[in-house]
Amino acid sequence: MSVQAPERRRADFFPTEEEYTGHLGWRSRKATWFQGFCMAMLTIAVIALVTLLYTIINDSFGLVAIVNQNQPEDIVADLGYDPETTGLNGITFDEMVGLLEANVSSGVGRRLEREQRFYENRLVFESDQVWAEICASEEPPSGCTAAPRDQANVFALVQERVVQPDVIASNQLVHSLLDPGGFEDEVASGFEAGRFQEYTFEQVEFEWRAWFSPTFLLSPASATPEIAGIRTAILGSMWLVIITVLFAVPVGVGAAIYLVEFARPSRFNNLIQTNINNLAGVPSIIYGMLGLAILVRVLEPITSGDIFTGGTSPSDNGRTILSAGMTLGLLTLPVVIISSQEALKAVPDSLRQAGMALGATKWQTVRSQILPVAMPGVLTGTILAVARAVGETAPLILVGAASFITVDPSGPFSKFTALPIQIFQWTSFPQEEFRNLAAAASIALLLLLLTLNAAAVILRNRFSRRVE
Amino acid sequence: MTNETSTEETVTSPAGDVPVPRIERAASSPAVNSVPNVIETRGMSVFYGDFLAVADVSLDFAKNQISALIGPSGCGKSTVLRSLNRMNDLVPTARTVGEVHYHGENIYAEGIDPVRVRRTIGMVFQKPNPFPKSIHDNIAWGAKVNGFKGNKTDMEGLVEEALRAAALWDEVKDKLADSGYSLSGGQQQRLCIARAIATKPDVILMDEPCSSLDPIATLRIEELMLELKENYSIIIVTHNMQQAARVSDKTAFFNVKLDDTGMRTGRLVEYSPTDQLFTSPREKDTEDYITGRFG
Repeated sequence: MSVQAPERRRADFFPTEEEYTGHLGWRSRKATWFQGFCMAMLTIAVIALVTLLYTIINDSFGLVAIVNQNQPEDIVADLGYDPETTGLNGITFDEMVGLLEANVSSGVGRRLEREQRFYENRLVFESDQVWAEICASEEPPSGCTAAPRDQANVFALVQERVVQPDVIASNQLVHSLLDPGGFEDEVASGFEAGRFQEYTFEQVEFEWRAWFSPTFLLSPASATPEIAGIRTAILGSMWLVIITVLFAVPVGVGAAIYLVEFARPSRFNNLIQTNINNLAGVPSIIYGMLGLAILVRVLEPITSGDIFTGGTSPSDNGRTILSAGMTLGLLTLPVVIISSQEALKAVPDSLRQAGMALGATKWQTVRSQILPVAMPGVLTGTILAVARAVGETAPLILVGAASFITVDPSGPFSKFTALPIQIFQWTSFPQEEFRNLAAAASIALLLLLLTLNAAAVILRNRFSRRVE
Repeated sequence: MTNETSTEETVTSPAGDVPVPRIERAASSPAVNSVPNVIETRGMSVFYGDFLAVADVSLDFAKNQISALIGPSGCGKSTVLRSLNRMNDLVPTARTVGEVHYHGENIYAEGIDPVRVRRTIGMVFQKPNPFPKSIHDNIAWGAKVNGFKGNKTDMEGLVEEALRAAALWDEVKDKLADSGYSLSGGQQQRLCIARAIATKPDVILMDEPCSSLDPIATLRIEELMLELKENYSIIIVTHNMQQAARVSDKTAFFNVKLDDTGMRTGRLVEYSPTDQLFTSPREKDTEDYITGRFG
């Protein structure tokens, strides 16, 4: 056998022109199919997101059926105004206080006054003598020192205490828009079936209500859905973000710097690395148990603030913002470490060598040359991890977030609640109106997350620009 | 310095079973060499793990001269260069045995901080690697980390001086605040040279500084090297024999040799004044290499 020319033999392995044309067609079709498949997957993802947003927004706005214990028109008319032209908010401050005096029990009135006075120089519900006494006592109420209530504050009180609106039924946004009459019919048939026995159908007013509103964001929690808000929850979540970041970022970035820049490969370091990677996948409730066992129980003197304040901290146990924030910090720590490591590894070695060759120490090189380049990646990873932690519910329930709290958190040692806890709480209530509140709170939570992500983008861009 | 000691000594590989016989030193006769040396290596071998990358290098680098290290790929010339300022310490598995004397002091002796070594023996790399900072900061940083005590004006003076020394001042004087990355490749490499000069080193090591540059940029760097040699001692690794012939005073030729166990180890073959090495090499290997028979 003679040796065949190798070029010839190699050419034989390739298809003929005809085969090639057929094959090419099939290849193109396959490419088209896969493109279509990927687009379909994207569509599914988009549909899922749109459905989520639709559900939340649909529940957050819509028609409600309200029964006012006292009709604002009647009140205004009683005061001598023309109800056609003047609303309840058009009356004077003194008239509002007068309404409160007439409609609120003296006990509630005294409580309101102790929270915050109505007038700088005059008391409405308390007697001067008692007031002087309680203000001279060991723990004077906030009303002794705080500035008096303003018009908006008193108006809110009048709404809550005098008008006393009661939402007896609520409707969803889309249904309200498409079929406003349908809701009225529903409520009417509800009356016929005897569901709202304390009212008559004539008392019912139908009006649009935005459950997600500035008032909702700024009011504290309440058992009455009409006036309940999420201020305490938002503040609690913000405190948690701060503590989480303060804990997770220095620890996580520090650990990542050590692992990438200083640690020499060894069995021990490999073990640590593997463990960190695995910790990133541990369910959040496990971190909650850790937080409960260590931070809340064992470290109670620290997390309750007792050793710092000498036992006068606002919380008498370890179920504080500090415990919860550190639990969330532990939860985010592995992700922060891993993403920081990736960011550091992405910095070219030539920069390290350049720094070292100039006679800089390792730390000087890392601090001035490596970290600034890695910073955008570190920040992105960190903020995404923190954003995930903000939405966590399970660990917070374990470390003891309060389910109902109306006092704003005042520091890391306060009792607290957080947005996801509040949402979780409201969804478990039977009344329909709390479902609307939960949806509105979900919008607030999403907005908070959006803000965090926007902050990540802005910070990243700023750092990148500085690096260029 | 007595140069002709220990011609038959052996260094031992870390396994302890592969004796590395010292070849007779190919270095030039010290009598001719009246210039003082800045760096002398004595029986230096570099291991990466168990792998002996380059064995038994004894070389003298003269003050205010350009010394070139040439040889085929994998002959260990870059490894030798990086051992001269302990940059190889940054490779976790690298280990250097033997001695490297800088002004008579062994830089591998115990208690010598590599940071101090690198501060006086600067380095320019194969690929330009400016910091992602402004041109000004690229140069100022090296001085800052080494404890520069001057004020802002002094620093500006230092930056200008370094840029002038690197023949870059006229091109960048109006854009010192621009990023180092905004420069062309050749300018970036001169920026890196300026950066190395700004810390006032004694020796500058250059690891194939022109390999990623075009011929015109290469020429400028070569001219610059000839200028710099007035004040600095330069050791350059190059793939380009013409470049070695053009700029260097002395040239060391390295070659890869297979030892009995099949390990490819780099060895110093010949170290002579450049014109001598290129016109009348003493070793057959050198002649084969410079005439283009291999490599």
